[in-house]
Amino acid sequence: MRIDWAALGVVAVVSIMSSVIFTILLATGIRLVSIAKIKSNEGGSGTAIVSAGYVLLGIAGLLVLYGLYLIVPQFH
Amino acid sequence: MTELFVVITVIAVALIFDFTNGFHDSANAMAGPVATGAFKPRTAVILGACLNLVGACLSTEVAKTISGGFFDDQLITVPIILAGLLGAIIWNLMTWLFGLPSSSSHALFGGLIGAVIVGAGIASVHGWVIVSKVLLPAIVAPLVAGIAAAWATRLAYRITRKTPSAHSNTGFKHGQAFTASMVALAHGTSDGQKTMGVITLVLIAAGLQESGTGPQLWVIIAAGIAIGLGTYSGGWRIMRTMGRGIVEIETPQGAASGAATSATILASAHLGFGLSTTHVSTGSILGSGVGRGAEVRWRVASRMAFAWLLTLPGAGLVGGLTALLADQGVFGVIALMVLLAVACLVIYMLSRRHKITHANVTDSHEVLVFTAATPTTYPNDPRLDPAKPKKAKKPKAKSAA
Repeated sequence: MRIDWAALGVVAVVSIMSSVIFTILLATGIRLVSIAKIKSNEGGSGTAIVSAGYVLLGIAGLLVLYGLYLIVPQFH
Repeated sequence: MTELFVVITVIAVALIFDFTNGFHDSANAMAGPVATGAFKPRTAVILGACLNLVGACLSTEVAKTISGGFFDDQLITVPIILAGLLGAIIWNLMTWLFGLPSSSSHALFGGLIGAVIVGAGIASVHGWVIVSKVLLPAIVAPLVAGIAAAWATRLAYRITRKTPSAHSNTGFKHGQAFTASMVALAHGTSDGQKTMGVITLVLIAAGLQESGTGPQLWVIIAAGIAIGLGTYSGGWRIMRTMGRGIVEIETPQGAASGAATSATILASAHLGFGLSTTHVSTGSILGSGVGRGAEVRWRVASRMAFAWLLTLPGAGLVGGLTALLADQGVFGVIALMVLLAVACLVIYMLSRRHKITHANVTDSHEVLVFTAATPTTYPNDPRLDPAKPKKAKKPKAKSAA
């Protein structure tokens, strides 16, 4: 049997891409929510920014749910 | 009668292996969150244990074979399984004593291979499988997870550069809690299966279960509980190495390395290139340290790499030696059990010289065995960690705080 280099490559690319995407979503979401908090503390309105932040965090949450779907064999 | 005794012994030993698997791998999911304070040590292991148990009960399909392609399935007999398990247990306990994370699957394969070599000769082992399933993944796993974690960490710091750390830390800790829980659940489904597979194989081989049937309910529950208890007991020595020994973990860095660990584990489990959870999570922590530009203790990392290389031959050696006795009928099995008990006791006594518990797991970055600080001054010896002031409190009082 030879080594499955193709599978290895796919695993490497998918792992790196998905960790980077998850972290970007999480970090950007955190940053936006924080900006909005600071704005509202200063008396301004940060509704648009805060909702954008929560949308990003929500997408990150969906990624977690997708991971859960992959783990639980009963789902597929 | 004799056979039943052997079967019961092997099942008990399989559950002990499952327990060591749990406490050895507790740190894979929980070292990061414990180090950053996303979870308190106790909370972390209770959560990890519950998710392990749930994960073990979720897995429907159990590996039909435990040979892993390293040798022919026909060579697997009950004494060989017993010897393989013993080799893996002893190796797991030794690496735990030194606080070194190493793969429990590699230990099990090593033990089995050693036993097969003694029973059937070295020619019966397929050398190329060792290269493709052990050596290559052991290099690839930390590399892939490390690159993923390094990039993720850089990005996490760049994006939140201007965010007040009070805000970002809370957010990152939440993210870390989710990724760590996923790793614990995935670990339960994959490693719980291993023990169930072993017990089911033994039951089938003894004619107590029809071949081709899945694991019985009590097997699933027993395996789940054993791995859960193992995780709950914490494996604090390994947790210290992974959480503080390799590199100091800051919160954004911990979140990024958690994301890299869970992404890599899920990708490898579902895209056909198996990687060890242990190698992935150590690689992530290492990579996240590099990504942050922190001072990585390469001495610790190289000692770990050394342990990974030794896992297969080390467990194989123990497995081979025990195989000599495992074939000698009831008395051989009894002798092995006595030897196992003695070995466990010796390792436990050695570990008590520098005890590491949930109360002091993050106090220092060193796991001491024979050297340095005298037991009476440990763990509050200021020489171990000059940054920490000397605490006179008892461990009990500390855990309540």
